Amino acid sequence: MTTFLTFTILGLVLGAVYAIAASGLVLTYTTSGIFNFAHGAQAMLGTFLYWQFTYGWGWPAWLSLIVVVGVAGPAMGALLHTLIMKGLRETADVTKIVVTVAILLGMVYLSQWIWHPEDARIMEMFFGAGAKIEFGGVVVRVHELICLVVAVAVAIGLRLLFTRTRVGVVMRGAVDDPDLLRLGGHDPDRIAMLSWAMGSTLAVLAGILVTPIGGGALEANQLTLLVIDAFAAAMFGRLRSIPRTFAGAMVLGMAATYVMAFFPTEWTWTGNLRVSLPMIILFVVLIVLPQDRLRVAAVRTRERYRPPTPRSAAVWGVALVAAVFLLALLMDDGSITTFALGMTFAIIALSLTLLTGYAGEINLAPLSFGAVGTIIAFHFGVTGSGLASRLTLWGVLLAVLVTAVVGGLVALPALRLRGLYLALATMAFGVFLSNMVLRDTVEHTVFGVTFSIFPNGTLIVPPLRVGPLDLRDPRTFLMTATVLFALIAVGLAALRAGGYGRRLAAMKDSPAATAMLGQNLVKLKFGVFMLSAAIAGLGGVLMASAGGSVAGDNFSIMASLALVMLTVVGGIGYISGALFGGLMAGVGFTIMVATFNDLAVVHPSMETIYKTIGQLLVVATALIGMGVGENPSGNVHKIVEGYRTLRGAKGLLAGAAAVEAVLYVLALTGVVGNWWFAILTVCLAMALPVAGRMRAEAPVRATPLELAGLDEPYTDELRERLDRELGLPVRERTAGKEASVHAAA
Amino acid sequence: MPLLETRDVTVRFGGNTAVDGVGIGVEAGRITGLIGPNGAGKTTLFNTVTGLQRPAAGRVLLDGADITRLAPARRARLGLARTFQRLELFLSLSVRDNVRVAGDVLRATGRKVDVEKETDRVLARTGLEDIADLEVSAIPTGRARVVEVARALMTEPRVLLLDEPASGQTERETEAFAGLLTGLAAEGLAICLVEHDLPLVMRLCTTIHVLDHGRLIASGTPKEIQESPEVVAAYIGSEEVTG
Amino acid sequence: MNEQVPLLELAGARAAYGPIQVLHGVDLKVHPGSVVALLGPNGGGKSTTMKVCAGLLPLTGGELRLAGRRVNGMTAQDAARLGVCSIPEGRGVFPNLTVRENLWAATGTGARLADLEEAAYSRFPILGERRHQLAGSLSGGQQQMLALSRALGTDPAILLLDELSMGLAPMIVTQMYDTVAQLVAEGLSVLVAEQFARVVLPIADTAALMLHGRVVASGRPGDIEDQLSSSYLGG
Repeated sequence: MTTFLTFTILGLVLGAVYAIAASGLVLTYTTSGIFNFAHGAQAMLGTFLYWQFTYGWGWPAWLSLIVVVGVAGPAMGALLHTLIMKGLRETADVTKIVVTVAILLGMVYLSQWIWHPEDARIMEMFFGAGAKIEFGGVVVRVHELICLVVAVAVAIGLRLLFTRTRVGVVMRGAVDDPDLLRLGGHDPDRIAMLSWAMGSTLAVLAGILVTPIGGGALEANQLTLLVIDAFAAAMFGRLRSIPRTFAGAMVLGMAATYVMAFFPTEWTWTGNLRVSLPMIILFVVLIVLPQDRLRVAAVRTRERYRPPTPRSAAVWGVALVAAVFLLALLMDDGSITTFALGMTFAIIALSLTLLTGYAGEINLAPLSFGAVGTIIAFHFGVTGSGLASRLTLWGVLLAVLVTAVVGGLVALPALRLRGLYLALATMAFGVFLSNMVLRDTVEHTVFGVTFSIFPNGTLIVPPLRVGPLDLRDPRTFLMTATVLFALIAVGLAALRAGGYGRRLAAMKDSPAATAMLGQNLVKLKFGVFMLSAAIAGLGGVLMASAGGSVAGDNFSIMASLALVMLTVVGGIGYISGALFGGLMAGVGFTIMVATFNDLAVVHPSMETIYKTIGQLLVVATALIGMGVGENPSGNVHKIVEGYRTLRGAKGLLAGAAAVEAVLYVLALTGVVGNWWFAILTVCLAMALPVAGRMRAEAPVRATPLELAGLDEPYTDELRERLDRELGLPVRERTAGKEASVHAAA
Repeated sequence: MPLLETRDVTVRFGGNTAVDGVGIGVEAGRITGLIGPNGAGKTTLFNTVTGLQRPAAGRVLLDGADITRLAPARRARLGLARTFQRLELFLSLSVRDNVRVAGDVLRATGRKVDVEKETDRVLARTGLEDIADLEVSAIPTGRARVVEVARALMTEPRVLLLDEPASGQTERETEAFAGLLTGLAAEGLAICLVEHDLPLVMRLCTTIHVLDHGRLIASGTPKEIQESPEVVAAYIGSEEVTG
Repeated sequence: MNEQVPLLELAGARAAYGPIQVLHGVDLKVHPGSVVALLGPNGGGKSTTMKVCAGLLPLTGGELRLAGRRVNGMTAQDAARLGVCSIPEGRGVFPNLTVRENLWAATGTGARLADLEEAAYSRFPILGERRHQLAGSLSGGQQQMLALSRALGTDPAILLLDELSMGLAPMIVTQMYDTVAQLVAEGLSVLVAEQFARVVLPIADTAALMLHGRVVASGRPGDIEDQLSSSYLGG
C-alpha cells in the first residue's frame, strides 16, 4: 500500500509539472489561435538560463528564479508575440505550425551553440535530494512537494485571474469574439501578448521544476521533448479547458509512474513504453475526439502556388539530372556520397510537397515513415552477406507498401479532424517510434521467433541491386537517386495537373464546397496520406543505404522537424522547395558547420569568427523559417520567378550560360577550386534576375478605377472599362459619368 | 410531390431556435423562392438540407427518400447541389478548373462522364468562356457567383440550392443570370433561390416561401406574397409594433 | 442645425471585403443629438457602413470624420475611446462570459463596473437576476438587452446600432427602441441601421435609404417611408 501511495504521489508530481506546462500552452492557443510547438523549447531555454545563473555563475537560487521566471520568461513570450505571432493572422495552419517549429529548432540550435551539448550539466532538486518529509510512511522530497504546491497555486491563480480580474475576463472574451473586444475599447493584440508572456512563464517554470525530477541531467533535445509530452494533457481539455487539462496531466503523470512501478521488470521495453506513454495517450485522445463540423468559410490565406505543367516539370527534371551529372564530375567519392544522401532527403521532402503543398495536410514526422520503410527493408529485403549483401527490388517495394499502410493507420484517427490534429498525430507517432521502436535493440521471442527490431541501435542497409544496376558505386547511387527524384517530381506534377490533383487542391481551398460536390473528404485525405507515406518510405530506404548504416537518431523528430521547416522555407507548394529542403536538411547543415570548422583549423587566428559564422548560419536557417509568415509561398520559387523577366533577354542568358560553361571547365580542369566555382555560380544565378529587372521596361501598372482618366488620355477603351466595372449599360450619359468619376476621385 | 422537401425541421444554436418547424417543398422544373429578413434562418435551412448542419428535429426528403442522416457528400451524390452566400471558390484553381473539378469528383465516384466536354458545355451554358482561364481571385464577385453555379451544375444535380446568387452582380449580369435560371428550370431542374433582390425573386419564382424568426410565415405565388400583410410586416415592421 | 459640425460624417466613403467592393461612395451625416436611421434591404451595405463607422473595416476611399476631424485610419479600440459605442449585428455579447463579466469587459473605455451594473440592472431587472448566468444561455431578447447595456453606463458620444431587431419578437423590439428613445432624450446621438423601418422611423430625425452600396435618398422619415415598400418588395 505504501508503495502504491508513493508511486501515486510521484505520479501526481509529474502530473503537476505537465499541468503547469500544458496550461501555458492552452492559454496561448485559446487567445491567439496559434498552437505553440516551441513551448517545450521555451521551457528548455529558460531552464538553461536558470542553470547558467545558479550553477554557472553561482547566483543564489531565489535570485535566479526571480530573474528567469519573473523577467526572462514573460519577456520571451511577449517578444515572440510582438515579433512573430502577431504577423501570422490569415495564414494557413501549415504556416503557423512551421513558424513555431522553426522557433523550436532555432531555440535548440541557439542553446546548443551557447551551451555545448557534450558538457554535462546537472540540476539539483530544490533544498537538495535529501530534504524529505514523511507522511504516514510515505516519503516525499521537498522538491516534489514544491511541484505540487506550485501546480495548485497555478490552478488557483489562473482561476482567480479568469474570474476575478478584468484582464482575465477580457482574455476569455478574446476567445469568443476579438472584434467585440475592440468595440469595447480593448486591444486584442495586447491581450494576446499578455497571454504569451504568461504561457512562456509557465513553460519556463515547468522546465525548471521537471529537470531535477527526471534525473537532473540538462539536455536540450530531451527537455524540449519532455515538455512536448504536455501536449497530450492539453488535448484532454481539447486545447480549451484548463481544468480538464489539469485532470489530463494527472492521468498522464500517474499512468507513467504506474507503468514503471508495476510492469514486470523482465519486460525490456517498459522503460521505452514509459517514455512514449504521453504520445500514445495523445493518440488515443485524438481517436475519441468528436468530429469537426465542416465549416462554411473558405480558407482565405495568403499562400499562392502556381503548379508547373507536367511538360515543364519534365524539362526541369532533365535539366536537374544533367546538372547533377556535371557537378558530380567535379567531386570526389566522399562528396558524392554526401550529395547522394542529400538527394534521398529530397525524395522524402517530396512526400511533403504532395501532402502539404497539394493537399494542405501536415506530416511533422516524415523521417519516421522513412524509418518504417528502412526497418522493413532491413528485415525482409537484404540478400547475401558482408560486402556482397544487396537490397532487392522486392524488398524496397515491400518497404514502400508497408510504409503506406502504416501511414494510413497513423492518419486514420486524425482525418476527421482539422489539420493541426493530424500534425499532432504524426508528431506523436514520430516520438513514439523514436522511443519505442528505434530503441528496441534487444531480442524478443514471440511464438518461437527470435528477433530484434533495431539490433545494436544501428541498421546496416546495403545498396540496392536491380539486374545490372548496382548502387554500390557512389556515382551510380547519386544518379539513380537524382533520376528517382526527377521521376517522382514529374509524376507529382502530372498528378497535380490531373483530376486527382484538382480534387486535392479543392479540398485544401474549401473542404465544405468539396464535400458539396460529392467528394468523401476522409477517403481523399486517407489516400493522399498513404501515397505520401509511401514516398517517404522509399526515400527513407534510400537514405539508409546511401550512408550504408543508420542509427535511430537519424530518424529523430528533431531531424524530421528540420526537414519540414526547410521544405516550407524553400516553398512547400513547389518541387524546388523539396529539393532545397531535402538537400539542406540532409547534408546542408553538416556541410556548413564542417566548412567553417575546417576554415577555423586552417586559419587559427580567425577560429572564433569562423566557428561563430558556422553556428550563426545554422541558427539563421531557423530564422528564415520564422520569416515564413512574411513570405508563406516559399523562397526558391521567388528566385525562379525572378527569371521570368529574362524571357526576352536571349543575349543575356546566352552570355551567362557561356560564363557558367567556362567556369565549369576551369573547375573541371582544376584551375579554380570547387568552392570558387560554387560561389561564383551562386553569384551569377543571383545577379541574373537583377540584371533582367534593370533591363526590362517599367511594367505597365493598371490605373485604379478611381484615378482612371486623371493623368492619362480618356480613351474609348477606358470608358468601356469604367462602364464594365460600374455595371452600366454601354454609351449611357458619357459626359455626366465622366464628371462624376472625376468628382469621386 | 415535391422533389425536395423539409418536414418540421427545427435547428437550435444553444438557446436560440434558428429554424422552427419549417416544412417547404421544392418542385422539379420550377424555381422556388425562399425569402425573409436577415437572420430569418434561410442559410441555416440550406445548411440543414445539405448536411452541414444537423437539425434538432424534423426530416429532409429527397425524391421521397429520407436523407436527414446522410453526410453532405452522400447527399451531393444523390443530386443535391448548392452555392454559398459567402463565396467558397477554390482559390488556387482557375475558373475552368473550378468547374472541371466537380466533374473529376463525379468520375472518381464511378460515374461515366467526359469531363472535358462537359466542362466546355457548362462554361458555354453559363457564359463563362471568356474568363475560363483566369484565376478565380481575379474575377469580380458577380461573375464569381456564376462560377459557383457552373460548378454546381457540373455535379449533374436534380436540385440546385442558390444562396444569394445575384448579390454583387451588375444589372446586366443579373439579367443574363435570370435567363440562365429560367432555362435550367425549363430543362427540369428543381431550383431553390434565396435572394435579397426581391423584384428578381418575384419575377422568376412560381412559389415563394417566406421565413421570419425561423418560422414559415407565408407560402404562395409572388402576387399572394406581395399582398400578404404578414410579409410586409416581416420586412418593414408592422404598424401595430410602433403604435 | 445643418450649420453645425456633424458628430459623425461619411463623405464619399468606399469600402471592400478583399477584392469585393461593397460601399461605392456613401455620404452620411449624424448631427449632435439627432437620430439617423439607415434603411434599406439586405445587401445594400448598411452593415458595412456601420462597420466602417465603428473602425472595424478600413475605408478604401473617401473620408470618415468624427466631430469634423478626419479619422480614416482609426481602429475599433480608438473609436471606442473616442466615444463611439457600437452594438454590432447579431448579438453583441460574449456567450461564454456571464452577464456581469460581459459588463466588466465593456469597461475598456474607462467606465466603472459598478456604474455599468447599476445602469444595466435598473433598466433591465432581468439582467440583474441573471448576473451570474452565461450570456450564451440567455434568450435572444435578454442578450440584446445586455448588448445595449454597454451604451447605458459608458456615456458614449454616439451610439451605432446595427439591426437591433434581428431575430427578436416585436414586443422585445419595441422595448429596445423605448430604451434607445430614452437615451436620445438624454442627448445621445444615434446612427441606427434597421430593416424594420417602421419601428425606427418614429424616433428618427433623418432617414437614409441605402441600395447597392450608396445612399440613394435621404430626408425626413415620412418622405422616405413612402419609397420603402417599393424598394424592398419591388411591388
